[in-house]
Amino acid sequence: MASPFSGALQLTDLDDFIGPSQDCIKPMRVDKKPGSGVAKIHIEDDGSYFQVSQDGGTQKLEKAKISLDDCLACSGCVTSAETVLITQQSHEELRKVLDANKTAAPGQQRLVVVSVSPQSRASLAARFQLTPTDTAKKLTAFFKKIGVHYVFDTAFSRNFSLLESQREFVQRFRGQANSTQALPVLTSACPGWICYAEKTHGSFLIPYLSTARSPQQVMGSLVKDFFAQQQRLTPDRIYHVTVMPCYDKKLEASRSDFFSQEHQTRDVDCVVTTGEVFKLLEEEGVSLLELEPAPLDSLCNSASAQEPTSHRGGGSGGYLEHVFQHAARELFGIHVDEVTYRPLRNKDFQEVTLEKEGRILLHFAAAYGFRNIQNLVQKLRRGRCPYHYVEVMACPAGCLNGGGQLKAPDAPSKELLQHVEMLYGMVRTEAPEDAPGVQELYECWLQGEGSERAGRLLHTGYHAVEKASSGLSIRW
Amino acid sequence: MKDSLVLLGRVPAHPDSRCWFLAWNPAGTLLASCGGDRRVRIWGMEGDSWICKSVLSEGHQRTVRKVAWSPCGNYLASASFDATTCIWKKNQDDFECVTTLEGHENEVKSVAWAPSGNLLATCSRDKSVWVWEVDEEDEYECVSVLNSHTQDVKHVVWHPSQELLASASYDDTVKLYREEEDDWVCCATLEGHESTVWSLAFDPSGQRLASCSDDRTVRIWRQYLPDNEQGVACSGSDPSWKCVCTLSGFHSRTIYDVAWCQLTGALATACGDDAIRVFEEDPSSDPQQPTFSLTAHLPQAHSQDVNCVAWNPKEQGLLASCSDDGEVAFWKYHRPEGI
Repeated sequence: MASPFSGALQLTDLDDFIGPSQDCIKPMRVDKKPGSGVAKIHIEDDGSYFQVSQDGGTQKLEKAKISLDDCLACSGCVTSAETVLITQQSHEELRKVLDANKTAAPGQQRLVVVSVSPQSRASLAARFQLTPTDTAKKLTAFFKKIGVHYVFDTAFSRNFSLLESQREFVQRFRGQANSTQALPVLTSACPGWICYAEKTHGSFLIPYLSTARSPQQVMGSLVKDFFAQQQRLTPDRIYHVTVMPCYDKKLEASRSDFFSQEHQTRDVDCVVTTGEVFKLLEEEGVSLLELEPAPLDSLCNSASAQEPTSHRGGGSGGYLEHVFQHAARELFGIHVDEVTYRPLRNKDFQEVTLEKEGRILLHFAAAYGFRNIQNLVQKLRRGRCPYHYVEVMACPAGCLNGGGQLKAPDAPSKELLQHVEMLYGMVRTEAPEDAPGVQELYECWLQGEGSERAGRLLHTGYHAVEKASSGLSIRW
Repeated sequence: MKDSLVLLGRVPAHPDSRCWFLAWNPAGTLLASCGGDRRVRIWGMEGDSWICKSVLSEGHQRTVRKVAWSPCGNYLASASFDATTCIWKKNQDDFECVTTLEGHENEVKSVAWAPSGNLLATCSRDKSVWVWEVDEEDEYECVSVLNSHTQDVKHVVWHPSQELLASASYDDTVKLYREEEDDWVCCATLEGHESTVWSLAFDPSGQRLASCSDDRTVRIWRQYLPDNEQGVACSGSDPSWKCVCTLSGFHSRTIYDVAWCQLTGALATACGDDAIRVFEEDPSSDPQQPTFSLTAHLPQAHSQDVNCVAWNPKEQGLLASCSDDGEVAFWKYHRPEGI
């Protein structure tokens, strides 16, 4: 069965050849009882396990449960069997929460928030032949119809990802002299790339990764911290769902870095792909076309526009473009109106340079797709990487072409992608620093740019995954 | 039939280990062998015997599974279970590892050079086939990562004259790939084998492809171009491949390798029953339904599984074979009278 995960993730994290003696590192609590004697294990007809002690007494044993997160925390031996579980579970999970809300007492209900990515919206717009604005409004209407309380747009949280990325690059560029690993800065918004980097080249690549959180995870902070406070709820009372163009985002949401120990809740509780939203619509017997558009929600009052906004620089967030223009201004006082991309060996590998009097001041690149990631990493390992900044995405053609996007039943996929790109590009763009509500949130919620809170809520870390190397885990 | 294949000599190429694969250089003067001892050895003829001229020992951490010479004969590629592929540059009798291709997730099973010499293909247990491009400065870059197979990919081979790549897999299929715009795509899947396809060989013209399998058959596939006379349907501008002959009932175990002589058209097979067999096409057979006859069968060619057979590209009838017993054997094949 073809896996819906990105190519990069498939090659490193899916493993159908699990060695029989590979140790599962999930720490199980073993309650050691004093006394000698060997216990016998008896299996009942229904499959439950009973421990029979020497005196004949029996005790039912609890089944060890390995959650998906435990598996990922290990060496990431996500088998293709588990991917089926991941891909099937999410929109059912959302349903369960919505159904539970219907029968729960008022004080026991969970506040359900859905954050929609602009890429998913563009994919739905293409399928239903609607404008992005109409799609946004009708999606809002649909979610509210099924019991969701608020519907947000991750383009808002993306403002923070972009601003933090800009700031971070300038800092690291200026600090080049002090560190050999300051540059290049490699983007980290793509979880397919991150899983690959952590597992295959962990300790080598991690120092280069941008620590800025992805728009999904900034939204996680916004919803579970800022919004929760506003609503006077503890974060665990909010059920936060994101709508994303790929399955890899589900793994990102499951990272332990995005789990609050204090409140025992995730920043993002559930990730639903564009395809899963489409399934939800089908299951509800609703067509987006029929719905009356509902007004758009926004996280803070000053940001209540009635049409969605977006960012320049392509369908994967625009990191290269924003960081380039900001860096040109901040570091060299050069104002760049239009960023010119030069394709290299293939259309998923492009370069951008800032030159002055024959000197290259800034050398940036965008590398999409596994083959280009390979070449980039090999160049880096050999000390032959000429770039200061690389926007890395696991999917060829970027997020608009993610594995969770709607597929064209009859049209060739290339045409559909072009259509989705066109719809994505239709949305009015604005500079992240100008987006209403952003400066306000930096002041009130984060207590200033570069503050400790900003560092904690808008940045994250990465962890090298060591391969389990036991002599018995020989694969044939 | 025993007399059609005469032993010329044996060498203990990879003592206490398996010898996995053999490759003749384009000039036919050197034979590279590789094995479970992590080494590659280069053999040349001196007088009447084959002697070891070089040992490439610092390249790999695990078994070397395949070796392949570049079309110009100056480079040798070695594919290893350590997940890397080494490129060695020949300088008279010395070989220097000039680069190591990394990226496969686990064991690399095969490596092959395209006839142009600019492209290299590798395949792995990670189910992928990679195409690499080499530039003027001997720098290799990955051009494509192909994930068409659903299981371990055992072998890759290039068409003798076109930039067409074929791969054989544990998923029982053979797949063909070509370049399309700035990427490579799978343009055909050949189904028919009932078990792992272990190896492939194109005929001298490139119009036919032989595959051998764990199902103990050799299949011959023929290429049909769009608008062919025989009326074989093609999709778009891609040729179709049809199985035109199945050699079954000849081998009693898995067939690990098949080699198609570029000089004479004879087909040799390496089998898990320790035997070497040679087949020749019946001259009067219909090209759309060719028939092949068994012209040589040597049981106990080796004391264990025969892993590889390789025809010398310049000397007619000269065949090399290697085995799990660690030995390389050299044979002279004479087509029997009356065939």
